[in-house]
Amino acid sequence: MTEQAIYFDSSKCTACKGCQAACKCWNNLPTSYELNSAGEFTGTLQNPPDLLPNTRLIITFNEKDREGKYGVDWAFGRRACMHCSNPSCVNVCPSGALYIDEETGLVTYDSGKCIGCQYCRAACPFDVPRHTNVGLTGNNIKINKCTGCVDRVKQGRKPACVSTCQPGALQFGDRDEMIKMAHERVDYLKSKGFEQASVYGEDQMGGTHVIYVLKYGLDQYELPADPQQSGITDALGVLKPLTAAAAVATLAGLGISFATGVGYKRPTMRYDEANHDVVDADTGEVIKHIDREAGEL
Amino acid sequence: MTSHWEDMENADYILTCGSNNAENHPVSMKWVNRALDKGATWIVVDPRFTRTAALADIYCPIRSGTDIAFYAGMINYIFEHDRYQHEYCLNYTNLSYLINPDYSYDPETGLFSGWNEETKSYDQSTWGYQTDTETPWDTETTYAWVKGEGVPEFDPPVLKTPKKDPTLKDPNCVYQIMKKHYSRYTIEAVSNICGMDAETLELVYDTYTKSGEPGKAGTILYALGQTQHHYGANNTRIMSVVQLLLGNIGVPGGGLNALRGEPNVQGCTDMCIMPADLPGYLHWPTSDGTPSLKAWCEHETYSDGYYTNKPKFMVSFLKSWFGKNATFENDYGYDWLPKVYKPGNWTSMRTFEHMAEGTMHGYFALGQNPAHSSGNTKSVRESLAHLDWLVCADLYMTETASFWNAPDMKDKAADIQTECYFLPVASIMEKPGTILNSGRLLQWRHEAAPPAEGTKTDLEIMDLLHKKVAELYEKEGGVCPEPILKQKWDYDIDGKVDFRAVAWELNGYKVDGADFSKQKVDLLTNFTQLAADGSTACAIWIYSGYYNNNEALLEPDEQPVARRGHEDPGNIRLYPNWAFSWPVNRRIIYNRASADMKGKPWNKDKVCVEWDGKEWIRNDVPDFAFQKANPDGTNTPIEPNNKAFFMRWEQNACLFSTGGMKDMPLPEHYEPLESPVKNLMNGHQNSPMIQFADDPSVKAGTVEEYPYVATTYSITEHWQTGQQTHSCPSLNESQPGQFIEISRELAEEKGIKNGDTVRVWNNRGDIKMKAMVTHRLVPLTVNGETIHEVGMIHHWGWAHSFEQDDLTNDLTPNVGDPNSFIPEYKAFLVNLEKA
Repeated sequence: MTEQAIYFDSSKCTACKGCQAACKCWNNLPTSYELNSAGEFTGTLQNPPDLLPNTRLIITFNEKDREGKYGVDWAFGRRACMHCSNPSCVNVCPSGALYIDEETGLVTYDSGKCIGCQYCRAACPFDVPRHTNVGLTGNNIKINKCTGCVDRVKQGRKPACVSTCQPGALQFGDRDEMIKMAHERVDYLKSKGFEQASVYGEDQMGGTHVIYVLKYGLDQYELPADPQQSGITDALGVLKPLTAAAAVATLAGLGISFATGVGYKRPTMRYDEANHDVVDADTGEVIKHIDREAGEL
Repeated sequence: MTSHWEDMENADYILTCGSNNAENHPVSMKWVNRALDKGATWIVVDPRFTRTAALADIYCPIRSGTDIAFYAGMINYIFEHDRYQHEYCLNYTNLSYLINPDYSYDPETGLFSGWNEETKSYDQSTWGYQTDTETPWDTETTYAWVKGEGVPEFDPPVLKTPKKDPTLKDPNCVYQIMKKHYSRYTIEAVSNICGMDAETLELVYDTYTKSGEPGKAGTILYALGQTQHHYGANNTRIMSVVQLLLGNIGVPGGGLNALRGEPNVQGCTDMCIMPADLPGYLHWPTSDGTPSLKAWCEHETYSDGYYTNKPKFMVSFLKSWFGKNATFENDYGYDWLPKVYKPGNWTSMRTFEHMAEGTMHGYFALGQNPAHSSGNTKSVRESLAHLDWLVCADLYMTETASFWNAPDMKDKAADIQTECYFLPVASIMEKPGTILNSGRLLQWRHEAAPPAEGTKTDLEIMDLLHKKVAELYEKEGGVCPEPILKQKWDYDIDGKVDFRAVAWELNGYKVDGADFSKQKVDLLTNFTQLAADGSTACAIWIYSGYYNNNEALLEPDEQPVARRGHEDPGNIRLYPNWAFSWPVNRRIIYNRASADMKGKPWNKDKVCVEWDGKEWIRNDVPDFAFQKANPDGTNTPIEPNNKAFFMRWEQNACLFSTGGMKDMPLPEHYEPLESPVKNLMNGHQNSPMIQFADDPSVKAGTVEEYPYVATTYSITEHWQTGQQTHSCPSLNESQPGQFIEISRELAEEKGIKNGDTVRVWNNRGDIKMKAMVTHRLVPLTVNGETIHEVGMIHHWGWAHSFEQDDLTNDLTPNVGDPNSFIPEYKAFLVNLEKA
């Protein structure tokens, strides 16, 4: 099998969240909230507002006023693991739980080996990996993130999200072909007047195994313009050869607390459309104010 | 749908209006996206900028309830700019037909000729054609079957061929009448009513009417946004008129396409969910119009076209219903069918009135949740409290089954005497049978898992119920026993009711020698074999042919309904070997209209049917008489003619309606029951034939008290009244609760912030929900004034275990349309404030 990639065309996505549901169904993921509850209403269709310990994929919604009278530029994005060719998470993983599947290039993991350090999340420039059982006791913390459905792929099937996509926004296949298709689509979108259309993932992080066609400007998609290897990768890179047990000891020695599950974490964020604020979903604290009048997006 | 899902790919122009197809019919986007890839242009007209609008080429807002004005303006634009498809309209529609000179319409009063103020209805005699010649049926040759033994006696109809003026100059011809009628709907007038700016409206008109060019196809996708108004049937009709004028009906990539909701909602309609219908859209007997089989045959049988065969469908239906008890002597049991007086009185809306009045004592809610999904639900649950008994069958607890537990009824629940039964049922995956989609495609589904313990399938429940009622009648007697005891009821296989036996009944069979109990039945090939002499039985003629393989009676997989062929003759996404599409596996109905008068397709690359000079090339099953059977058993091809719509007696399509519609022969704009403005087009504020507006529970409000237009809708994350989706964690998480969309401008005016709780109320209800403040909704300018519209989703109620919210439908009015009796959910007035 050659290198594979998930292709996502934001200009064909209808934001139906079928992929989001299919991911949870195939991977047997419960809701991350208590019982079967649904979480808080956050004033947007982006639900849940960010990835959660048991939610590996979300569709993002970002709207911007449009020139002319009616409607908005409503960008539908996809937020999940990008499956980097040079993945920070793998580089930093002390226990060898995270690894690149050699056949496909997809970044997957062995939960049994995960020691719950959460360094992968800290290292990920996209802030993707999440962990279950993070809490006061910190027992049995395990990584949870998109595996590219490598289990399905090995059986000749497409990832669950791709197979459920009716509008044809998601495709799966040889990475080269996906890149070619993405460029063709971007050319087409540009010819239709979407001047900011772009391909994302071709070069980022050594090239990702998720290739995005972005219809609007990058700023509308919750994606970093220039994702980099985390500094932590270099600092902890030396841990790689060690066994998990040794790694635990070493990390403990470095003074990192596992009891509280501390590692770098991006707060769970949501966007407050009325005030153009990005706020912390837990505390309501304003993390970033977007000054539209000053031209910020 | 006149066409089918895959056919959307063939469209050059797509107009979504009254539907949110990307969100509520996600599969539609597979085909719409492919059409766009091939260069199609997509227009979305909607009060809200939806996820559908986000992908469209052109978005145009509209005030809810003004669709007729919008399309009337388009008709005017078509005539003014000569965009109608001339050859198509002249030959295949009644554009050139002459209407009774006494027909008139008065914009001052908003009334058409024939109005009777006392009965609040129209005498439609002036809406007819001028007759050229009269031709009685030839019962020696063409209609010899009428005289056959066993055929019910009736006086055959006389074909009254209408007068025509192909020059279109006669002031009484449909063209002139329509041109005059719609000339009032100028761009300015329409934008003034609907609220969008004139420039955007003109862009929409100009773009979409280009589909009138021969060879170009435009499709209209619509759903409940069009139908749920008290003139909803005419919303639908005016779209048909536009599509006919543009030559878009019957062509690949065209059609008028109703995107149905629940996958089997189309099946439900086919199977007579409406009190005025029998299965297959035959009309239910009425006490005043069709009290006898003779009267039915005379009233219902068309003088020409395919519905000349209606007595065959009716007698076969009665044979299927009453089996051997149906004989020529007893009019095949016709008298045992209840005669309905004014069917509108028995529609869902009126049902609750009957309960309140104490004339209806018991109620079955099978797979429906009217205490959540009906209009004015507060009055619905109060009505339910008058019942002696209520039976609900569902997968999960519903608001109907627990109506007494509503927040505003809990405290007095002890006073409610209704005995409630809840029957747990098998889910759609736990039973075999057919599922029917909007494209009229019947597909067989196997049981994926056996029903959960303690549950039964709907079929089993109905079967046991019938058997028990029949047993009680036999033992104890009772009122009117024949309709129950004379029924044919023999669907058991191996001692248990079986879907396959029901399939035989639906498909139809030869009566002679049939014995279901011995699994002996000679299935009909299709409905062309039906006879009016009692020799055939068929429960629903339009499905005939879907399960017709006599070699494998017990093997659904060997039947047309389970076919899995991928062949695509003509390369236009017809896939005739995939399952079965009613009628007779036809994928695009009215497909004769896809070709010109010489039988050449308007678009040579998209061939549905084509006359090659000798015979018809048939990629689809022809929807016209394409060959004639000879006595020696051979067939002679019929050369192309103008009979493109043979389900009509004129065999032409009706731009002007000569009697199908009760409330208007040409769609005319009226305002919703509750509207923020006076009707600017005529002197009647609401449609003169609005139904149930006098009911005291309606409590109409005024713009002074309730200044904001409200509409309701569904979102992609949840399903209808939510029972199934709220029990699914991934869906609950993807949309956690109910919300009301409010424009930034209105939110600012009312001091409401995104995420705030808002109180929304009118005379019918008072509810709370969360605010979603957005620029996707903008204030509209109607008659010089700023009008704010808000949008509410409706998926939550009190019955869910996990998330609860108020009922949106507490606010919607229970008034309806005189043709379909659909309620007006989509446009009403509310007030709101920060809670």
